[in-house]
Amino acid sequence: MNAYKFLRADGTGVFTRFAWPLPDAGPGDWVATEPHPCRSGIHACRLGDLPYWAGRVLYEIELEGEVVEHKTKVVASRGRLLRRVDTWDDALRATYTRYCADRAHEMARESGLERWEEVIEPSIPEGPALLGFVAARIAEEAGGPQAYHAERARQTDWLADRLGLA
Amino acid sequence: MAEHEHISCQEVVELVSDYLDQTLPADEATLFEQHINFCDGCDWYLDQMRTTVATVGRVTEEEVPEETRDKLLTAFREWKRS
Amino acid sequence: MPESGLQERTAAEEGELLARLRAGDERAFEALVERHYATMLAVARHYVNTRAVAEEVVQEAWLGVLKGIDRFEGRSSLRTWILRILVNTAKTRGVREARSVPFSSLVPEGAEPAVEPARFRGADDPFPGHWRAYPGNWQRLPDEALADRETLKVVLAAIHQLPPPQRIVITMRDIQGCDAQEVCEALDVSEGNQRVLLHRARSKVRGALERHLDG
Repeated sequence: MNAYKFLRADGTGVFTRFAWPLPDAGPGDWVATEPHPCRSGIHACRLGDLPYWAGRVLYEIELEGEVVEHKTKVVASRGRLLRRVDTWDDALRATYTRYCADRAHEMARESGLERWEEVIEPSIPEGPALLGFVAARIAEEAGGPQAYHAERARQTDWLADRLGLA
Repeated sequence: MAEHEHISCQEVVELVSDYLDQTLPADEATLFEQHINFCDGCDWYLDQMRTTVATVGRVTEEEVPEETRDKLLTAFREWKRS
Repeated sequence: MPESGLQERTAAEEGELLARLRAGDERAFEALVERHYATMLAVARHYVNTRAVAEEVVQEAWLGVLKGIDRFEGRSSLRTWILRILVNTAKTRGVREARSVPFSSLVPEGAEPAVEPARFRGADDPFPGHWRAYPGNWQRLPDEALADRETLKVVLAAIHQLPPPQRIVITMRDIQGCDAQEVCEALDVSEGNQRVLLHRARSKVRGALERHLDG
Protein backbone atom coordinates (compact mmCIF):
# COMPACT_ATOMS: atom_id res chain seq x y z
CA MET A 1 0.00 0.00 0.00
CA ASN A 2 1.01 3.62 -0.39
CA ALA A 3 1.14 6.00 2.54
CA TYR A 4 2.95 9.11 3.71
CA LYS A 5 5.88 9.83 5.92
CA PHE A 6 7.25 12.98 7.50
CA LEU A 7 10.99 13.28 7.91
CA ARG A 8 13.34 15.86 9.35
CA ALA A 9 14.75 18.51 7.04
CA ASP A 10 17.88 16.41 6.61
CA GLY A 11 15.97 13.32 5.50
CA THR A 12 16.31 11.45 8.77
CA GLY A 13 13.54 9.84 10.79
CA VAL A 14 11.93 12.13 13.33
CA PHE A 15 12.41 9.76 16.26
CA THR A 16 15.01 7.31 15.04
CA ARG A 17 17.16 9.74 13.06
CA PHE A 18 17.53 6.94 10.57
CA ALA A 19 18.92 8.27 7.28
CA TRP A 20 16.33 7.36 4.68
CA PRO A 21 17.42 6.61 1.11
CA LEU A 22 15.81 9.57 -0.63
CA PRO A 23 14.09 9.39 -4.02
CA ASP A 24 16.10 10.92 -6.82
CA ALA A 25 15.23 10.12 -10.41
CA GLY A 26 13.19 7.24 -9.06
CA PRO A 27 12.10 5.83 -5.72
CA GLY A 28 14.60 5.49 -2.92
CA ASP A 29 15.99 2.09 -1.97
CA TRP A 30 13.88 -0.38 -0.03
CA VAL A 31 14.35 -0.40 3.71
CA ALA A 32 13.49 -3.53 5.64
CA THR A 33 13.22 -4.02 9.38
CA GLU A 34 13.05 -6.95 11.72
CA PRO A 35 9.52 -8.13 12.34
CA HIS A 36 9.15 -7.03 15.93
CA PRO A 37 5.58 -5.77 16.30
CA CYS A 38 6.06 -3.22 19.05
CA ARG A 39 9.65 -2.18 18.74
CA SER A 40 10.67 -1.70 15.18
CA GLY A 41 9.11 -1.40 11.80
CA ILE A 42 8.52 1.37 9.36
CA HIS A 43 5.98 3.88 10.59
CA ALA A 44 3.84 5.73 8.12
CA CYS A 45 0.70 7.86 7.90
CA ARG A 46 -2.53 7.23 6.14
CA LEU A 47 -4.18 10.46 4.98
CA GLY A 48 -6.15 10.74 8.20
CA ASP A 49 -2.97 10.47 10.26
CA LEU A 50 -1.22 13.44 8.67
CA PRO A 51 -2.38 16.06 11.22
CA TYR A 52 -0.95 14.01 14.09
CA TRP A 53 2.51 13.78 12.64
CA ALA A 54 2.86 17.08 10.76
CA GLY A 55 6.55 17.63 10.35
CA ARG A 56 9.11 19.36 8.24
CA VAL A 57 9.31 17.38 5.00
CA LEU A 58 6.71 15.03 3.53
CA TYR A 59 7.21 11.98 1.35
CA GLU A 60 4.99 9.45 -0.27
CA ILE A 61 6.05 5.96 0.78
CA GLU A 62 5.36 2.51 -0.61
CA LEU A 63 4.91 -0.19 1.99
CA GLU A 64 5.27 -3.94 1.58
CA GLY A 65 5.23 -7.05 3.66
CA GLU A 66 3.23 -7.23 6.84
CA VAL A 67 1.40 -3.95 7.40
CA VAL A 68 -0.24 -3.44 10.77
CA GLU A 69 -2.80 -0.69 11.20
CA HIS A 70 -2.87 1.26 14.46
CA LYS A 71 -5.02 4.14 15.61
CA THR A 72 -2.93 6.91 14.15
CA LYS A 73 -0.32 5.14 12.04
CA VAL A 74 0.56 2.03 10.11
CA VAL A 75 3.65 -0.06 10.69
CA ALA A 76 5.22 -2.16 7.96
CA SER A 77 8.23 -4.39 7.59
CA ARG A 78 9.38 -2.93 4.27
CA GLY A 79 9.15 0.49 2.71
CA ARG A 80 10.67 2.84 0.16
CA LEU A 81 10.17 6.55 -0.41
CA LEU A 82 8.51 7.17 -3.75
CA ARG A 83 8.58 10.94 -4.06
CA ARG A 84 8.77 14.07 -2.01
CA VAL A 85 5.48 15.90 -1.68
CA ASP A 86 6.85 19.26 -2.79
CA THR A 87 3.62 21.08 -2.14
CA TRP A 88 4.33 20.67 1.59
CA ASP A 89 6.79 23.52 1.88
CA ASP A 90 7.43 26.22 4.45
CA ALA A 91 4.80 28.48 2.92
CA LEU A 92 2.08 25.86 3.11
CA ARG A 93 3.14 24.88 6.61
CA ALA A 94 2.62 28.49 7.65
CA THR A 95 -0.74 28.69 5.87
CA TYR A 96 -1.92 25.48 7.50
CA THR A 97 -0.74 26.69 10.91
CA ARG A 98 -2.72 29.88 10.37
CA TYR A 99 -5.76 27.88 9.31
CA CYS A 100 -5.63 25.83 12.52
CA ALA A 101 -5.12 28.96 14.61
CA ASP A 102 -8.13 30.67 13.00
CA ARG A 103 -10.25 27.57 13.60
CA ALA A 104 -9.05 27.55 17.19
CA HIS A 105 -10.05 31.19 17.75
CA GLU A 106 -13.40 30.63 16.08
CA MET A 107 -14.27 27.61 18.20
CA ALA A 108 -12.97 29.17 21.41
CA ARG A 109 -15.21 32.21 20.92
CA GLU A 110 -18.21 30.20 19.80
CA SER A 111 -18.07 27.96 22.83
CA GLY A 112 -17.16 30.55 25.43
CA LEU A 113 -13.76 28.95 25.93
CA GLU A 114 -11.96 32.27 26.09
CA ARG A 115 -9.20 30.97 28.29
CA TRP A 116 -7.79 29.19 25.24
CA GLU A 117 -7.23 32.49 23.47
CA GLU A 118 -4.05 33.20 25.41
CA VAL A 119 -2.56 29.94 24.20
CA ILE A 120 -3.25 30.12 20.46
CA GLU A 121 -1.05 32.91 19.08
CA PRO A 122 1.98 32.10 21.26
CA SER A 123 1.85 28.54 19.90
CA ILE A 124 2.25 29.64 16.27
CA PRO A 125 6.08 29.53 16.21
CA GLU A 126 5.96 25.89 17.18
CA GLY A 127 4.17 25.15 14.00
CA PRO A 128 1.49 23.00 12.39
CA ALA A 129 1.54 19.99 14.66
CA LEU A 130 0.94 22.04 17.77
CA LEU A 131 -1.75 24.24 16.29
CA GLY A 132 -3.52 21.21 14.89
CA PHE A 133 -3.52 19.74 18.37
CA VAL A 134 -4.75 22.99 19.96
CA ALA A 135 -7.63 23.29 17.51
CA ALA A 136 -8.65 19.69 18.05
CA ARG A 137 -8.43 20.04 21.83
CA ILE A 138 -10.67 23.12 21.76
CA ALA A 139 -13.14 21.20 19.62
CA GLU A 140 -13.02 18.40 22.16
CA GLU A 141 -13.66 20.69 25.11
CA ALA A 142 -16.59 22.18 23.29
CA GLY A 143 -18.07 19.00 21.88
CA GLY A 144 -16.40 15.88 23.23
CA PRO A 145 -14.29 13.17 21.55
CA GLN A 146 -16.41 13.10 18.39
CA ALA A 147 -15.73 16.79 17.90
CA TYR A 148 -12.01 16.14 18.35
CA HIS A 149 -12.03 13.58 15.59
CA ALA A 150 -14.23 15.75 13.40
CA GLU A 151 -11.72 18.58 13.69
CA ARG A 152 -8.88 16.24 12.81
CA ALA A 153 -10.89 15.11 9.79
CA ARG A 154 -11.29 18.74 8.71
CA GLN A 155 -7.54 19.18 9.02
CA THR A 156 -7.00 16.09 6.90
CA ASP A 157 -9.39 17.36 4.24
CA TRP A 158 -7.62 20.72 4.17
CA LEU A 159 -4.24 19.05 3.79
CA ALA A 160 -5.36 16.52 1.19
CA ASP A 161 -6.87 19.31 -0.86
CA ARG A 162 -3.93 21.73 -0.68
CA LEU A 163 -1.32 19.04 -1.11
CA GLY A 164 -3.10 17.48 -4.07
CA LEU A 165 -3.27 14.08 -2.46
CA ALA A 166 -5.78 11.36 -3.29
CA MET B 1 -15.86 7.04 17.77
CA ALA B 2 -12.86 6.08 19.85
CA GLU B 3 -12.14 8.12 22.93
CA HIS B 4 -9.43 10.54 22.20
CA GLU B 5 -6.27 10.11 24.25
CA HIS B 6 -3.39 12.37 24.70
CA ILE B 7 -0.75 12.85 27.34
CA SER B 8 0.51 16.03 28.92
CA CYS B 9 4.10 17.17 29.39
CA GLN B 10 3.85 16.24 33.05
CA GLU B 11 3.04 12.68 32.04
CA VAL B 12 5.70 12.62 29.34
CA VAL B 13 8.52 13.32 31.78
CA GLU B 14 7.48 10.23 33.74
CA LEU B 15 7.71 8.08 30.60
CA VAL B 16 10.98 9.30 29.16
CA SER B 17 13.19 6.71 30.83
CA ASP B 18 11.05 3.81 29.63
CA TYR B 19 10.85 5.30 26.14
CA LEU B 20 14.64 5.47 25.90
CA ASP B 21 14.89 1.84 26.98
CA GLN B 22 12.11 0.82 24.58
CA THR B 23 9.99 -0.67 27.34
CA LEU B 24 6.90 1.42 26.73
CA PRO B 25 3.91 -0.54 25.43
CA ALA B 26 3.23 0.23 21.75
CA ASP B 27 0.17 2.43 22.30
CA GLU B 28 1.88 4.52 24.95
CA ALA B 29 4.96 4.90 22.79
CA THR B 30 2.75 6.24 20.01
CA LEU B 31 1.11 8.79 22.30
CA PHE B 32 4.54 9.72 23.55
CA GLU B 33 5.87 10.28 20.04
CA GLN B 34 2.78 12.21 18.97
CA HIS B 35 3.36 14.54 21.88
CA ILE B 36 7.07 14.94 21.21
CA ASN B 37 6.21 15.74 17.63
CA PHE B 38 4.27 18.85 18.54
CA CYS B 39 5.89 19.90 21.82
CA ASP B 40 9.31 21.50 21.62
CA GLY B 41 9.62 21.54 25.41
CA CYS B 42 9.31 17.79 25.70
CA ASP B 43 11.50 17.23 22.66
CA TRP B 44 14.21 19.17 24.48
CA TYR B 45 13.54 17.29 27.70
CA LEU B 46 13.94 13.96 25.90
CA ASP B 47 17.21 15.21 24.48
CA GLN B 48 18.29 16.31 27.97
CA MET B 49 17.59 12.83 29.29
CA ARG B 50 19.56 11.20 26.44
CA THR B 51 22.45 13.53 27.19
CA THR B 52 22.21 12.76 30.89
CA VAL B 53 22.38 9.01 30.32
CA ALA B 54 25.29 9.41 27.90
CA THR B 55 27.16 11.57 30.40
CA VAL B 56 26.51 9.11 33.22
CA GLY B 57 28.02 6.48 30.96
CA ARG B 58 31.26 8.43 30.84
CA VAL B 59 31.71 8.62 34.58
CA THR B 60 34.71 6.72 35.89
CA GLU B 61 33.94 4.65 38.88
CA GLU B 62 35.64 4.18 42.14
CA GLU B 63 39.01 2.55 41.91
CA VAL B 64 40.04 -0.78 43.32
CA PRO B 65 41.85 -0.20 46.65
CA GLU B 66 45.48 -1.26 46.52
CA GLU B 67 45.14 -3.84 49.24
CA THR B 68 42.35 -5.55 47.37
CA ARG B 69 44.30 -5.41 44.15
CA ASP B 70 47.34 -7.00 45.80
CA LYS B 71 45.32 -9.78 47.41
CA LEU B 72 43.60 -10.57 44.15
CA LEU B 73 46.83 -10.62 42.15
CA THR B 74 48.33 -13.01 44.65
CA ALA B 75 45.31 -15.25 44.34
CA PHE B 76 45.54 -15.04 40.56
CA ARG B 77 49.19 -16.10 40.53
CA GLU B 78 48.41 -19.04 42.78
CA TRP B 79 45.57 -20.07 40.51
CA LYS B 80 47.85 -19.86 37.52
CA ARG B 81 50.33 -22.17 39.11
CA SER B 82 47.78 -24.79 40.04
CA MET C 1 19.62 4.07 22.83
CA PRO C 2 22.00 3.65 25.71
CA GLU C 3 21.69 -0.10 25.95
CA SER C 4 22.48 -1.52 22.56
CA GLY C 5 25.69 0.45 21.80
CA LEU C 6 27.11 -0.05 25.27
CA GLN C 7 26.20 -3.72 25.32
CA GLU C 8 27.79 -4.43 21.96
CA ARG C 9 31.05 -2.82 22.97
CA THR C 10 30.94 -4.63 26.29
CA ALA C 11 30.35 -8.04 24.72
CA ALA C 12 33.27 -7.64 22.33
CA GLU C 13 35.62 -6.49 25.07
CA GLU C 14 34.49 -9.26 27.37
CA GLY C 15 35.27 -11.92 24.80
CA GLU C 16 38.79 -10.62 24.48
CA LEU C 17 39.37 -10.40 28.22
CA LEU C 18 38.02 -13.90 28.75
CA ALA C 19 40.41 -15.39 26.21
CA ARG C 20 43.37 -13.59 27.69
CA LEU C 21 42.34 -14.52 31.22
CA ARG C 22 42.22 -18.21 30.36
CA ALA C 23 45.65 -17.85 28.83
CA GLY C 24 46.90 -16.61 32.21
CA ASP C 25 47.21 -12.95 31.29
CA GLU C 26 47.50 -11.00 34.55
CA ARG C 27 46.66 -7.70 32.88
CA ALA C 28 43.37 -9.13 31.67
CA PHE C 29 42.49 -10.19 35.19
CA GLU C 30 43.34 -6.73 36.52
CA ALA C 31 41.23 -5.11 33.82
CA LEU C 32 38.31 -7.36 34.64
CA VAL C 33 38.58 -6.63 38.35
CA GLU C 34 38.74 -2.89 37.71
CA ARG C 35 35.85 -2.97 35.33
CA HIS C 36 33.47 -4.69 37.73
CA TYR C 37 34.71 -3.47 41.09
CA ALA C 38 32.32 -0.64 41.80
CA THR C 39 29.26 -2.62 40.85
CA MET C 40 30.35 -5.75 42.69
CA LEU C 41 31.05 -3.74 45.80
CA ALA C 42 27.73 -1.93 45.64
CA VAL C 43 25.77 -5.11 45.09
CA ALA C 44 27.66 -6.95 47.85
CA ARG C 45 27.11 -4.02 50.18
CA HIS C 46 23.42 -4.47 49.66
CA TYR C 47 23.56 -7.94 51.22
CA VAL C 48 26.02 -7.55 54.12
CA ASN C 49 26.48 -5.34 57.13
CA THR C 50 29.63 -3.38 56.48
CA ARG C 51 31.78 -2.15 53.64
CA ALA C 52 34.68 -4.17 54.99
CA VAL C 53 32.66 -7.35 54.72
CA ALA C 54 31.49 -6.32 51.26
CA GLU C 55 35.14 -6.00 50.24
CA GLU C 56 35.82 -9.51 51.49
CA VAL C 57 32.82 -10.79 49.60
CA VAL C 58 34.14 -9.25 46.39
CA GLN C 59 37.52 -10.89 46.89
CA GLU C 60 35.94 -14.22 47.65
CA ALA C 61 33.77 -13.93 44.57
CA TRP C 62 36.82 -13.40 42.38
CA LEU C 63 38.33 -16.60 43.74
CA GLY C 64 35.13 -18.32 42.73
CA VAL C 65 35.40 -16.77 39.27
CA LEU C 66 38.95 -18.06 38.82
CA LYS C 67 38.01 -21.52 40.03
CA GLY C 68 35.13 -21.73 37.62
CA ILE C 69 36.51 -19.87 34.61
CA ASP C 70 37.50 -22.99 32.71
CA ARG C 71 33.98 -24.31 33.02
CA PHE C 72 32.31 -21.08 31.92
CA GLU C 73 30.43 -21.98 28.76
CA GLY C 74 29.36 -18.54 27.64
CA ARG C 75 25.65 -19.27 27.82
CA SER C 76 25.29 -15.98 29.66
CA SER C 77 27.54 -12.97 29.36
CA LEU C 78 30.73 -13.07 31.41
CA ARG C 79 29.50 -10.18 33.50
CA THR C 80 26.20 -11.87 34.31
CA TRP C 81 28.09 -14.97 35.36
CA ILE C 82 30.49 -12.98 37.55
CA LEU C 83 27.58 -11.15 39.16
CA ARG C 84 25.80 -14.41 39.90
CA ILE C 85 28.87 -15.71 41.71
CA LEU C 86 29.08 -12.42 43.54
CA VAL C 87 25.44 -12.50 44.61
CA ASN C 88 25.66 -16.11 45.80
CA THR C 89 28.78 -15.31 47.77
CA ALA C 90 27.18 -12.19 49.24
CA LYS C 91 23.97 -13.96 50.19
CA THR C 92 25.82 -16.78 51.90
CA ARG C 93 27.93 -14.31 53.78
CA GLY C 94 24.91 -12.20 54.64
CA VAL C 95 23.16 -15.17 56.16
CA ARG C 96 26.25 -16.10 58.13
CA GLU C 97 26.60 -12.56 59.40
CA ALA C 98 22.95 -12.62 60.44
CA ARG C 99 22.56 -9.34 58.67
CA SER C 100 21.30 -6.91 61.25
CA VAL C 101 20.73 -3.86 59.11
CA PRO C 102 17.52 -4.14 57.10
CA PHE C 103 17.82 -4.06 53.34
CA SER C 104 17.47 -0.58 51.98
CA SER C 105 14.17 -1.35 50.41
CA LEU C 106 14.25 -1.90 46.69
CA VAL C 107 10.55 -1.27 46.48
CA PRO C 108 10.24 2.33 45.36
CA GLU C 109 8.37 4.17 48.03
CA GLY C 110 5.91 6.98 47.66
CA ALA C 111 5.61 9.37 44.79
CA GLU C 112 8.67 11.06 43.45
CA PRO C 113 7.85 13.25 40.47
CA ALA C 114 10.57 13.43 37.85
CA VAL C 115 10.10 17.20 37.66
CA GLU C 116 8.59 19.47 40.33
CA PRO C 117 4.85 19.82 39.68
CA ALA C 118 5.09 23.61 39.90
CA ARG C 119 6.85 23.66 36.56
CA PHE C 120 3.65 22.55 34.84
CA ARG C 121 0.39 24.34 34.27
CA GLY C 122 -2.37 23.62 36.74
CA ALA C 123 -5.76 21.99 36.38
CA ASP C 124 -7.59 25.24 35.65
CA ASP C 125 -5.31 26.10 32.78
CA PRO C 126 -6.46 25.40 29.20
CA PHE C 127 -3.28 23.36 28.83
CA PRO C 128 -3.15 21.45 32.13
CA GLY C 129 0.06 19.53 32.63
CA HIS C 130 2.01 21.43 29.98
CA TRP C 131 5.28 23.17 30.71
CA ARG C 132 4.94 26.68 32.07
CA ALA C 133 8.38 27.45 30.71
CA TYR C 134 10.20 25.05 28.44
CA PRO C 135 13.35 23.31 29.69
CA GLY C 136 16.59 24.33 28.01
CA ASN C 137 17.60 23.16 24.56
CA TRP C 138 20.98 21.59 25.24
CA GLN C 139 21.64 21.17 21.52
CA ARG C 140 22.38 24.88 21.62
CA LEU C 141 25.15 24.49 24.18
CA PRO C 142 28.75 24.36 23.01
CA ASP C 143 30.12 20.81 22.97
CA GLU C 144 32.65 21.68 25.67
CA ALA C 145 29.92 22.46 28.17
CA LEU C 146 28.85 18.83 28.22
CA ALA C 147 32.29 17.29 27.95
CA ASP C 148 34.23 19.19 30.56
CA ARG C 149 35.47 17.85 33.87
CA GLU C 150 33.22 20.10 35.89
CA THR C 151 30.16 18.56 34.27
CA LEU C 152 31.38 15.04 34.98
CA LYS C 153 32.03 16.01 38.58
CA VAL C 154 28.48 17.30 38.90
CA VAL C 155 27.12 14.04 37.51
CA LEU C 156 29.34 11.93 39.76
CA ALA C 157 28.29 13.94 42.80
CA ALA C 158 24.64 13.55 41.86
CA ILE C 159 25.04 9.79 41.57
CA HIS C 160 26.74 9.62 44.94
CA GLN C 161 23.87 11.52 46.52
CA LEU C 162 21.26 9.09 45.27
CA PRO C 163 19.60 6.74 47.74
CA PRO C 164 21.55 3.42 47.55
CA PRO C 165 18.93 1.44 45.60
CA GLN C 166 18.76 4.12 42.88
CA ARG C 167 22.51 4.44 42.87
CA ILE C 168 23.12 0.75 42.33
CA VAL C 169 20.59 0.52 39.53
CA ILE C 170 21.85 3.51 37.56
CA THR C 171 25.43 2.32 38.04
CA MET C 172 24.65 -1.13 36.74
CA ARG C 173 22.41 0.01 33.87
CA ASP C 174 23.96 3.21 32.58
CA ILE C 175 27.60 2.92 33.61
CA GLN C 176 28.17 -0.81 33.44
CA GLY C 177 25.71 -1.45 30.65
CA CYS C 178 23.96 -4.31 32.44
CA ASP C 179 20.56 -5.17 31.06
CA ALA C 180 17.40 -5.16 33.15
CA GLN C 181 17.49 -8.91 33.63
CA GLU C 182 20.96 -8.82 35.20
CA VAL C 183 19.91 -6.11 37.61
CA CYS C 184 16.78 -7.98 38.63
CA GLU C 185 18.78 -11.15 39.26
CA ALA C 186 21.58 -9.43 41.12
CA LEU C 187 19.34 -7.44 43.42
CA ASP C 188 16.30 -9.70 43.64
CA VAL C 189 14.09 -6.90 42.43
CA SER C 190 11.18 -7.01 40.01
CA GLU C 191 11.55 -5.63 36.52
CA GLY C 192 8.95 -2.99 37.25
CA ASN C 193 10.63 -1.78 40.44
CA GLN C 194 13.98 -1.76 38.76
CA ARG C 195 12.55 0.49 36.03
CA VAL C 196 11.11 2.90 38.59
CA LEU C 197 14.41 3.10 40.45
CA LEU C 198 16.29 3.78 37.22
CA HIS C 199 13.77 6.42 36.17
CA ARG C 200 14.06 8.22 39.51
CA ALA C 201 17.84 8.05 39.48
CA ARG C 202 18.10 9.41 35.95
CA SER C 203 15.58 12.17 36.71
CA LYS C 204 17.60 13.33 39.70
CA VAL C 205 20.85 13.34 37.78
CA ARG C 206 19.20 15.27 34.95
CA GLY C 207 18.02 17.81 37.49
CA ALA C 208 21.55 18.23 38.82
CA LEU C 209 22.90 18.63 35.30
CA GLU C 210 20.21 21.15 34.51
CA ARG C 211 21.05 23.29 37.53
CA HIS C 212 24.70 23.18 36.55
CA LEU C 213 24.20 23.96 32.85
CA ASP C 214 21.38 26.46 33.05
CA GLY C 215 22.89 28.30 35.97
